[in-house]
Order: sequence, then structure tokens, then C-alpha cells
Amino acid sequence: MLKIQDLHVEVDGKPILKGINLDIEAGQVHAIMGPNGSGKSTLAYVLAGREGYEVTKGSVLYKGQDLMDMTPELRAAEGVFLGFQYPVAIPGVSNIYFLKAALNALRKHRGEEPLDAIDFMKLSKKKAALVQLPDELTKRSVNDGFSGGEKKRNEIYQMAMLEPSLAVLDETDSGLDIDALKVVAQGVNGLRGPDRAMLVITHYQRLLDYIVPDVVHVLINGQIVRTGDKNLAKRLEKEGYSEVRDAAQL
Amino acid sequence: MTEANRQTLIASVPDSFDTGPDWLRTLRARAAKTLRQQGLPSKRTEAWRFTPVRSLVNSEFAQNDGEGPSLVSAVPAGVTVRGLTEVLQSQPELLRGRLDFGGAPTHFAALNTAMFRDGLWIDVPAGTIVEAPIEISHVGPSSSEPRVAYPRVLVTAGEGAELTLIETYAGGRAGQLSNSVVEAELGRNAKMSHVRVHESAGLQIGRVDVRQDADSAYRSTVVTLGGALLRFDVRCLLQGKGAECQLDGAYLTDGDDHVDHHTLVEHEAPECRSAQTYRGIVSGKSTAVFDGIVIVHRDAQKTEAHQENRNLLLSDTATIHTKPHLEIDADDVICSHGATVGALDQDQLFYLRARGVPEDFALAMLTYAFVESIVDRVSHEPTRSRMREALLSRIPYGDEIREVT
Repeated sequence: MLKIQDLHVEVDGKPILKGINLDIEAGQVHAIMGPNGSGKSTLAYVLAGREGYEVTKGSVLYKGQDLMDMTPELRAAEGVFLGFQYPVAIPGVSNIYFLKAALNALRKHRGEEPLDAIDFMKLSKKKAALVQLPDELTKRSVNDGFSGGEKKRNEIYQMAMLEPSLAVLDETDSGLDIDALKVVAQGVNGLRGPDRAMLVITHYQRLLDYIVPDVVHVLINGQIVRTGDKNLAKRLEKEGYSEVRDAAQL
Repeated sequence: MTEANRQTLIASVPDSFDTGPDWLRTLRARAAKTLRQQGLPSKRTEAWRFTPVRSLVNSEFAQNDGEGPSLVSAVPAGVTVRGLTEVLQSQPELLRGRLDFGGAPTHFAALNTAMFRDGLWIDVPAGTIVEAPIEISHVGPSSSEPRVAYPRVLVTAGEGAELTLIETYAGGRAGQLSNSVVEAELGRNAKMSHVRVHESAGLQIGRVDVRQDADSAYRSTVVTLGGALLRFDVRCLLQGKGAECQLDGAYLTDGDDHVDHHTLVEHEAPECRSAQTYRGIVSGKSTAVFDGIVIVHRDAQKTEAHQENRNLLLSDTATIHTKPHLEIDADDVICSHGATVGALDQDQLFYLRARGVPEDFALAMLTYAFVESIVDRVSHEPTRSRMREALLSRIPYGDEIREVT
């Protein structure tokens, strides 16, 4: 599904990612853990196509195609989804209407007919229920006046609507209390499937108690220094990043 | 030879007037005298610094026949709508003291007073509450010759009266001039919602003067959809304690448009509130001007006044002049003002694109949202959707945005 080879990325001329290698198969959930400033969010943004991130070396293949060559909207149309760490508020643009535009753009790309208003609303109700997002919030302006938890649930609701092949979830747990975390994790788990891959980025192991990954990577200083199974996350929680950092001699 | 004497547009203004009631002849003669002395404004006139009227004042226009605004809605029960000419002939005393109530007009307003031939008087008597909007339409001259029209509207709302007035300024060929004056007099506790949609290929200069008694509320929403030269002045005189006005505007300019909005709110009485929010999207080689003044007089204690002008500048070749300002002579007031000129928010744009919305469509969505927030404040739903339609007709992907909203 996703094959990242020796990826180097600079922001404002400063190297942030320094040779990432990552191979995610369909059906897998990979977690990337790392301390602040390790390059986790940079990786998420590079995959989604945000401007200002310069790939200086390496390649990213998604379903065999060069992902870096695509505009953000084309990546979305091809099935890439980024769950933002800090979802932006967009006053005046209704959540549900923009999502309808997005979903129909995706359907058009796949050669499908646009959903009509009734089918769309039905689908929306079903997906909002998955993350217990009140109907009223789906109709409000995008993230405008939403609490931290509501914003994150809105991200997963949108993901459920768009049904991506590859979901990159950037610190979906940040700012959530334990109840909200459970709801969000339940929403994410509901979307796991044999055709879908996920890359879950987090600072804390806590999220991985609820979204149990197949593979865990530790990202420090722009490099993956350790890869293991879910027990690696548990060990990190106990020992902290310094242990790994020392072991990797960084 | 004075500059005024060289201005072709005022050459046809007579010295004396021989029809109509005495008081009107006096008003007209006073306006004519002001014009001969001061002329029409030039670049050296502060309030007209950015409005390119030079070629306009030096052009020859024949006065248009049948220039009056026309009523395009039914007249709601309890409301009277009459032609000004008819009232001036049959019951001129009803209008004494009501035209030019804001004092001796100058410049284009004086020209209207001297030259207007007909117009409408809308009277909503005390206690009459009208839900259905009263709608009038100004269609500019369509002659192939350069013509000028001087539309005039007077609204009187008695104590506790409520009305919604919709004005559309449309049509008008390139090179045709419309120079309008709308006056509104709101009694105690009266409420007026005033919606104006300006969409014209012609040249338009317009003034709205509002005089407000205690606890009255005037709410103006203006949508301006570009034009070769559009200049609109709104003035609210808050004369009674507790009166309030809200002036909102949205403008979209492109090509070689010049759109100019001026507001003047005078807090003359205590405990009045005013709020102004103007938002513009400025593209192409167009120019947009916002000039807002709030004057708080010495006795107007406990005034609350806010002013905001925000602009999206969508091209390198477009120009925005924005100048909100306050003059405060009272000490117990809450006032704020601000202006911004910027581009679309890149974080918002990326968010929409990352979800799959194509870039151009996402840009259009954000652009529409920026001005739609002004229209959203219009409480009468059919009017609100008409104004939305007007905006959508001018925004790229308007059809697609309508589809999803």
C-alpha cells in the first residue's frame, strides 16, 4: 500500500526527516511514536501534500504510484486521508456541505455518480453515530467553536464518510480525555479492514491500548530508530524515549 | 472662471426654480447655489480623494425621463407608497421639512436636490408592523446617449413602525449615470431593515441619509457586485437616546471596477449603539474603498460604536483603500475599529484540499464564506436567499457551491 524509501525532507532549508523507510501493507495498522520535534507531524504533512515541505531525497510509493507527484486533492481522491493534529476552523463553510463536495469529488474521480442529498444525509447520520458526533455539529461551520474532543471526533467522522485506503492519523489522541479517547478509538477500529491501512502517529502509548497496532516504529530526530510489535510501545511507556535514544546512540 | 463653472455636469442646473411649493424652490435654489460655489468634488476633496469622478463631472449627460424608482412588490396593508411629484402637487405640506433633513447637502446630493423630478414616498404610520418587504427597483438609463437619472426616495416610519425595504439598482448601460438620494426618518422605537443590491454596468453615485429618534433601530445590508464607478454614502444620525444602527456590506470587485463605500455615523444622543461590518473581495485590476467615520458628540455618553472592514485581496494588481476612523468627544464610551487586508488562509485551503476538494473549488468556497457571513445577518429568509444568489452569480463555482449549500 505505502512504501517509503530513504525519505529526506527539509522545511525552510532545515533537514527534518533524514532517511525514513517504511512499508505498510493493506490491512495493517502501523504506529509511529516519538518525542516532540522528532518529525512525526512532518511525515504526516508530507504524505498529505502540504506546501513548504521539500523532499530532497528518497521516494514515496502509494499503490505503486509516486505520491509526491500528486496534488493534495488527487491524493485524497486516490484514497489518502490525513486526520489533523490541529483541525482548522473554517467559519462560514458548513461541515456537511464541504464534505459533500469532497465526497462527490472523490466519487467523480472513481467514475461514480454523485450522491444525492437524501443518500448523503443517510450516510452522514450513520457515520456521525459511529463517533457519537451530534447531528447538529455536522451541520455547523467546520470545527468552528468545537471543543478539542469534538474536533477529533469530527476528523474520524470525516474519515468514515470518505472511506480512505490509507489513513494517517496525526496525534488523534492529543487533547482527549479518556472517555473521548475511547469513542475516537472505537470509531477508528470500526474502520479497520483488509483493504485499509493506517498510520497512527502518537506521542503516548495510551492511544495504542485502544487502537492496537500491528507494527510500532520509534521516530527520533528524523529517523526510525526502532521497529517492533505492540510490546515495543509498552516498553517505551515504561522506559521513556531516552532509553531508546541512548541505545540508538543519537 | 471658477472650477465649478467648468464642470459640465452642473452646467444645466438653473439659478432659480419656478415650480413646486415655496419650500422646495428654496431647497433647490440653495442646492444650486452651493453647487455653483463649491462645484462637484475633485481629487482634492478629502472625502472624494479615491473616487475618480473627474471625467464624470466633465461629461455631458441629458436628464433621463421616467427616472423615478419603481415599486415592484405589493404595497403591504397600512403602508402608503406615493409618487413624490404627485404629493408635491397635491399635498406639499406633508413633505415640508422632510427632504434634505440632514442639513444643506453638498456635491452630488445637492445636485439631486436641485434636479430630481420624481421619486417615491413610503410612509409606514405609527404602530404599523410590516413583515413582507417593500421592494423598489432602480433601473438605470438604457439610452444609447449619455443620460443621468436622479432617483429620490423618502421613507417615513412612525413611532413603533417596522418595515423592510429592498432596493435593487440594476441595468444601466456603461456611461449612464444614476445619482440617487434615499432618506429615512425613523420615529421612536421604529425599526427599519434596509437591503440594497447594487449591480450595474453604469456609473452610480448614491446617498442614504437616516435620521433616528429614540430607541429606533436601522439595519442596512448592502451587496455591491462591481461596476465601473460605484460610490455609496450612508449617514446615520442617532438623534434620540438608545437608538441603534447596524451597517453591513459585502462587495465583490473585478476587472476595472471601482467600488467605494463611505459611512458616517453621528452619535448625537446618549446610549446609542452602532456597528459596521464591511467585507470585500477585490480581484483583477479593480479598486475598492472603505471609508467609515464614527463621530461621538460630547453629550453622547454611554455610546457603543464598532467598525470593522476586512478585505481579501485576490490579485497583485487590485487596490484597496480602507480608512475606518473615530472622532470621540464624549468620555464614557466603548468604541473599536479595525481594518484588514489579506489573502485566503492557507491552513483552511489545505484542509479542504486534503479532504479532496479541488483547489479552485476550495478557493471559491472560502471566498464565498467570507462575504456570505454578511448576507447571513439578513433575517428575512427570502431576501437572504436572493442576496446569496446574487453573490453566487459572481463567484466562480457558484453553481457547485449552491449545490452543496
